[in-house]
Amino acid sequence: MNRLSDENLRARRQLKLSRFVVYLILIFLSVLSLFSFYMLIVNASRSNADLQGGFRLLPSNYFFKNLKNAWTDASINVPRGMLNSFIIAASTAVLATYFSALTAYGIHAYDFKLKKLAFTFIMAVMVIPNQVSAVGFYQMCVKLGWTNNYLPLILPGIAAPIVFFYMKQYMESVLPMEIVDAARVDGSGEFRTFNTIILPMLKPALAVQLIFTFVESWNNYFMPALLLDKAEMKTVPLMIAQLRSADYSKFDMGKVYMFILLAILPVVVVYIFLSKSIIKGVTAGSVKG
Amino acid sequence: MKKALALLLALVMVLSMAACGTSKTEETKAAAPAPAETQAATPAETEAPAAEEGKVFNIYAWNEEFKGFFEKYYTVPEGITVNWIINPSDGGVYQDKLDEALLNQENAPADEKIDMFLAEADYILKYTDSEFTQDIQALGVTDFSNTYEYTVQAASDSNGVVKGVSFQCCPSALIYRRSIAKDVLGTDDPAEVQAKLDSWDKFNAVAADAKAKGYYMTASESETFRVFSDNGTSALVDDSGKLTLNDSIKAWQAQAKDFSDKGYTLTTGIWDDECTAQMFKDGKTMCYFGPAWYFNFSMGNAQDPEKGCPGDWAICQGPQAHFWGGTWLLAATGSDNPTMLADIMDTFINDEEVCENLIKNESQFTNNQAVNAKFAADPNYGNAFLGGQNDVAVFVDLAKNIKFENKTIYDQLLCEGLQTYWREYCDGEVTEEEAMANYYKYINEKYPEIVTP
Amino acid sequence: MNQLREKAPAKHKSISYAKWGYLFIAPFFITYAIFKLYPLFLTIYNSFFENYRSGLKQVGPNFVGLANYIKLFTPDANGIIDIIKYTGNTVVLWLGGAIPQIVIALLLAIFFTSYRLNIKGQQFFKTVIYMPNLIMASAFSMLFYTLFSNVGPVNQLLMQMGIAEKPIDFFAIKITVRSLICLMNFLLWFGNTTILLMAGIMGIDQNMFEAANIDGATSTQTFFRVTLPLLTPILVYTVITALIGGLQMFDVPQVLTNGAGNPNRSSMTLIMFLNSYLKTSKNYGMAGAISVIIFIITGLLSMLVYRSLTKKD
Repeated sequence: MNRLSDENLRARRQLKLSRFVVYLILIFLSVLSLFSFYMLIVNASRSNADLQGGFRLLPSNYFFKNLKNAWTDASINVPRGMLNSFIIAASTAVLATYFSALTAYGIHAYDFKLKKLAFTFIMAVMVIPNQVSAVGFYQMCVKLGWTNNYLPLILPGIAAPIVFFYMKQYMESVLPMEIVDAARVDGSGEFRTFNTIILPMLKPALAVQLIFTFVESWNNYFMPALLLDKAEMKTVPLMIAQLRSADYSKFDMGKVYMFILLAILPVVVVYIFLSKSIIKGVTAGSVKG
Repeated sequence: MKKALALLLALVMVLSMAACGTSKTEETKAAAPAPAETQAATPAETEAPAAEEGKVFNIYAWNEEFKGFFEKYYTVPEGITVNWIINPSDGGVYQDKLDEALLNQENAPADEKIDMFLAEADYILKYTDSEFTQDIQALGVTDFSNTYEYTVQAASDSNGVVKGVSFQCCPSALIYRRSIAKDVLGTDDPAEVQAKLDSWDKFNAVAADAKAKGYYMTASESETFRVFSDNGTSALVDDSGKLTLNDSIKAWQAQAKDFSDKGYTLTTGIWDDECTAQMFKDGKTMCYFGPAWYFNFSMGNAQDPEKGCPGDWAICQGPQAHFWGGTWLLAATGSDNPTMLADIMDTFINDEEVCENLIKNESQFTNNQAVNAKFAADPNYGNAFLGGQNDVAVFVDLAKNIKFENKTIYDQLLCEGLQTYWREYCDGEVTEEEAMANYYKYINEKYPEIVTP
Repeated sequence: MNQLREKAPAKHKSISYAKWGYLFIAPFFITYAIFKLYPLFLTIYNSFFENYRSGLKQVGPNFVGLANYIKLFTPDANGIIDIIKYTGNTVVLWLGGAIPQIVIALLLAIFFTSYRLNIKGQQFFKTVIYMPNLIMASAFSMLFYTLFSNVGPVNQLLMQMGIAEKPIDFFAIKITVRSLICLMNFLLWFGNTTILLMAGIMGIDQNMFEAANIDGATSTQTFFRVTLPLLTPILVYTVITALIGGLQMFDVPQVLTNGAGNPNRSSMTLIMFLNSYLKTSKNYGMAGAISVIIFIITGLLSMLVYRSLTKKD
């Protein structure tokens, strides 16, 4: 009796200790994760001269001045850049998510001769970096007059192997074919079934991939840098790159940090807003091999 | 169902927005100035020639230096919008983007054609000696009586056709910190300092003294690069396309390594924070090298009285006379605004008021000898940043030595790369052979046609 | 319109539905063919030509056979073959970030899903650790650059604490540059991986854990005997996605080293190498050849992936 409670006590103490350690690790990693955001905010609140003077842990009072400077900068039109980035990222995210779900459903729900081959093909090309075909892609765009055009940045989103793979795995775990059969009995057309019955069931997965692809596209630099050079068409990452080349006399680091802050703000807001359903989405879509 | 529909709808909308993004913005851009223009045109319909010119004036540039001067001192004709296309110079991005646009110039709609673009001494030849720039004398810029000879030569092609002008003249000087010079040399008088630093032997010896007193001679091992490279006797790439580092460059390499090893200098890039931080109050560096534009462009932050030490600087010639950089305005072939183009160029070399303002307000050394001479002779003129020293007078003297020779179209990246890769050797991270091998690789990537050892 | 015909066969998947399968996957394949395959073939085609820009003049395209490949595999004066060196760099930088990323993520995933530990504030932690992924990689490395520069706060701190006498030039030392790149990649991706792995663990049948518990298995035993084997598929997925990211590594080292991959090109990745030919010289011949090599490397890897995936079926 006594020995048992002793053991119990030891186990409890052990659990307490391990819990303490785990929290310590979690807090450390969270601090590490938030540190860069914090630094950005602090730096965005400091004047250029102040920044030149070195490091500071506490925010200063230049925030709104920097905000005004950044927002109304004559040569770098942030609102315009954000709109451009948004058009590209939103379209890419919607296309990639929708068509990946459609493709995954096509392979998941139907039997056809080339099904296995199609699946194998997508899996095989998944690993190929986009940049590998950049030379040809750029030449093609130049030939077609597609430079300074958003379409070559958006349309390739329709073929997104990684998103497809995720959708396919998700469907395998949550999508029983009985539902499809039931819909057919009800006389629903295949395309309609997909749009009205299947898509809503995929909501969590769609949410996850929407934000993942949106973030990826929003942050993309390589391709837009090749294709866009008109000021009014530039995206946010291109503008940030341009900032670094500004005059040394006018090289206002406070403004630069503010630009970066503005550049990531929309994504952060959307993410925090959606984070619950995103995490739920990923967790619900427990991927099975 | 509703949501899926909404999603699809949103998709269609965004897509169509994106699809029209290109064409529509152009249309609206083209259409937007129209109402304003018709309003302006009705009262003064007689101004026919102006109406023939394009409504958009496109300028390619790599930074905002000239843009600032342009916006302050040039009055843009009514009804014309000036459009700046700015790309970073670093790593050759500006040249890449400019080349692409020039090659596409013929097919571009009138309002998107480049009218004018900026170029540096390091690669201006590439553009002047090509069909992408046009004769500005034909456009009406004919008065070069006050400009410096070398600026016209640099802007001319091999047949002597002038393609552009520079708004500045760029003799480069030794810029020293007065207080440190007093401590190390016992004087801060420009003439006396010059006497103590007028050769590399003296310069190197003083570097040892500076180190002994706890100072750095320079803040970057590349600080003296331009002094050496401008005094070289051959171009970086010879006529057969072979890379050749002349004795002057080799002397710099030796000095850079020596200074780094002995701690006479910091090993860092001349544009890096560490180098510019040395310009502040608590900086420990005695010497910088640069032309008039250096005060504003590179030392801008050091002009802040709180952080920097304005007044504690002065200039003299230094070990060797040299020039560095300079921005030329070149006339693009196919411009649809020839009148305005010529007017801008003429303004920045011949308009005395503008040139005077450039000196007074912007610490520039202009490309107008008459205006420069006026300031040089003016006993009341002094540059406060230099403790009241008449820098224009110093530059007028130094400008006499400038020769524009031994330039290639590759200089910008060849110089950038040499400094970057040699620095690794100075740092002791790689052997000399490795540093040079890496430099050659870099050249092969940038310019396949250059033959490297 | 087709509804009548479809209704008739009803019930299970049957051949008459096959055309829908083709129809649904058609957009993907058409897009892929236009935007990826065709450019890829163009790229391969380019690799057999001399084709670059010399100033404002275009050189080529002239057919040169395998000359570009031969150049790519010719050792330099010090006996170093660039492309092999950069492949090595890429692998080192990838592993340096990916191993801690997956290990830590696995640990965190176990913490979060452990009923015994019953972590509070999970939602908060999960949200926060994913957040670095939202920052542009280029902005993130710019921030790190300022933090670790010679005049940056890290050096100031080290000097104030007396650890360093003069600033440590983090960007001139191979090990520190590489470590910083790995650290950044780790920070950018560990949250993402944690979430994915958690999904995998929660997908495991809870009865398995209970059974293990009843059999008196310790938590270590449970992990290695139950969790890990059942987690393999999702682990494979995370390794693959990490691998894809690793092969494409570009922004972080590019911005941190200003494209030079310093020191001694030891942090130059394959894509940075490719990028250096795409810029000024527009050397599509050499860039094409490098692309083909990267393609072959990824091809080999994707075969490996395919094998590991089909084995499960």
